[in-house]
Amino acid sequence: MIRAYLEVAKKSFQNNITYRMDYFAGVINTIVMIFVNISIWKAIYEEEEVVGGVQFKIIMAYLVLSFLLQNIFTMEDYLIEGRVTTGLISSDLLKPMSFRLYVFSYNIGSLVFKAVMQLLPAMIVTVALFGMLPPFSASMFIYFLISVVLGYLVLYNLNFIIWISSFWFYFTFSLVTIKDAAVMILSGALIPLWFMPQWLYEFIKLTPFDSIFFVPISIYLGQIPAEEVFTSIIKQVAWVAVLGLVGHILWKAATKKLVVQGG
Amino acid sequence: MSLIKVENLVKDYKINVKKKGLVGAIGSLLVPEYKMKRAVDNISFTIDKGETVGFIGPNGAGKSTTVKMLTGILTPTSGNVEIGGLCPYKQRKKNASRIGVVFGQRTQLWWDLPVIDTFELLKHIYKVPEKVYDENIELFSEMLGLKDFINQPVRQLSLGQKMRADIAASLLHNPQIIFFDEPTIGLDVVAKEKIREFIKYINKEKGITMLFTTHDMQDIEKTCSRMIIIDHGTTIYDGTVDQIKNRYGKTRTLIVEFGQVYDKIDLIPGVEVVDTKDNKKWLAFKKEEVHISSLIADLTNKYSILDLTIQEPEIESIIREIYEGGVNYDKSLSGGGKEVLSK
Ligand SMILES: Nc1ncnc2c1ncn2[C@@H]1O[C@H](COP(=O)(O)OP(=O)(O)OP(=O)(O)O)[C@@H](O)[C@H]1O
Ligand SMILES: [Mg+2]
Repeated sequence: MIRAYLEVAKKSFQNNITYRMDYFAGVINTIVMIFVNISIWKAIYEEEEVVGGVQFKIIMAYLVLSFLLQNIFTMEDYLIEGRVTTGLISSDLLKPMSFRLYVFSYNIGSLVFKAVMQLLPAMIVTVALFGMLPPFSASMFIYFLISVVLGYLVLYNLNFIIWISSFWFYFTFSLVTIKDAAVMILSGALIPLWFMPQWLYEFIKLTPFDSIFFVPISIYLGQIPAEEVFTSIIKQVAWVAVLGLVGHILWKAATKKLVVQGG
Repeated sequence: MSLIKVENLVKDYKINVKKKGLVGAIGSLLVPEYKMKRAVDNISFTIDKGETVGFIGPNGAGKSTTVKMLTGILTPTSGNVEIGGLCPYKQRKKNASRIGVVFGQRTQLWWDLPVIDTFELLKHIYKVPEKVYDENIELFSEMLGLKDFINQPVRQLSLGQKMRADIAASLLHNPQIIFFDEPTIGLDVVAKEKIREFIKYINKEKGITMLFTTHDMQDIEKTCSRMIIIDHGTTIYDGTVDQIKNRYGKTRTLIVEFGQVYDKIDLIPGVEVVDTKDNKKWLAFKKEEVHISSLIADLTNKYSILDLTIQEPEIESIIREIYEGGVNYDKSLSGGGKEVLSK
């Protein structure tokens, strides 16, 4: 059965190749975003070496990592909505496979595509242009990799909840937009959370958002004390589980609605 | 042993009642109001292994709703469905691996990828053995002419090509039962014929049981031996295709082209003129009341005749009569048609 899901991922990978323009746009977009954001921060740092206790070279590394991760964390926001509004979701349920795993494999296929085809060129260009801090330590690099995977799963499970709401709302454009904005601001994708007002920072730490980008990048940069790394990762795991559970309950309700009320 | 068993099947849909006007619209947004709509109303039938059943009825009769319940993507409000011993909506995945489904209105092929890639994917999803897969691809390509476009992305295909690919996709895993919901919709005559030929062949060679929904009576005549007609969610006919012709199709029409234009002609009893155009007349009669030979003899004696054609009623017009007559057309044929059925 695993074979079938691998095959789905492979097809999704192939699917990505079909859209060549999208591919170049993805690479260029990432490089431009990194350039623009580094320029903005450079202006802020013009006077001083250190702002808010953080050195410029750390910010630069933060931004490079953040935008590279954002690039590969891009998911197919309208895949499920499309299946629901066209009624194809019925055909999906008629396949002897799990639709949820199908969607996941599909996204993994795109992830691999982006990692290989977009991340690498974008990384080479940006590192050549802006340089890059090495990971804080070898062990932190390992934690970073684990944390990135968990960050992806937190975002995936959060997204899944939004996607699945298309069973009730049919069109999820506004919801997706709100979600994107929330992720952009609260996950530390644009502004490292150190610069947030204390009360907001405390609040964000109670949400799943910091688990997506802020935690893994901070681990890489050694900005999370070694004794707190473990709790940060456990918190990520907890959010993966909680959001996964909510998604599961919604999925059950969605299929129930579908099979009772018809497509 | 029957493969498909349907017992007192009922499906009610909940429909959101929208009120008129802006105030009404806001009102129904805040306090939605529902009413129930019965789409399938107490249907029962059984289908044996290898049977080919045409499932017809006017728009909104409840055909697609029934097919959805049989495939397991819709839960019945009440009643029982059994497919080869499985309850489709409770064991959907298990049931899914034994059945094939084509919904003519929507393709299940992967939009951006070549047809062959979807086939490959389905091979893995249904765990089709390599040998079976290769044989089927070979056979389907040959019979449905897939070779011309199998490497083309689905979004570039014409409707007919897509439909052929979809039908092939639904049969790759050698299902025991195939459900076709309007697979010939929107196709030209040649494409339809090709699909019918294929369906007929597959049914014969592989012994697949089939439930075929369509609005094209030719589809049914060419591919099905039995026919279930439903209207307003209830069965109004269940029996063989031949039987329906015998029971309803007693009327024959003789088209006569006369040597000259006659305003009025003298006919033997039981025959009437139903249409006239120039020197042509359409004469209708019941086949057991009037002998065709005596009618022709009588006519040739009295008039000069250029040409004669006998027309059998087409199943098309029979069905139209039944639809128009509604549920009460002939009570003796309704209600599961058990006695009509027994062979
Ligand atoms: N999801 C749904 N919600 C509410 N009502 C529905 C739903 N699906 C179908 N209906 C209603 O149920 C009735 C039967 O519909 P169905 O699609 O089964 O008809 P059908 O026989 O397939 O018609 P057609 O020949 O037009 O395809 C119709 O009155 C239709 O409006
Ligand atoms: Mg229908």
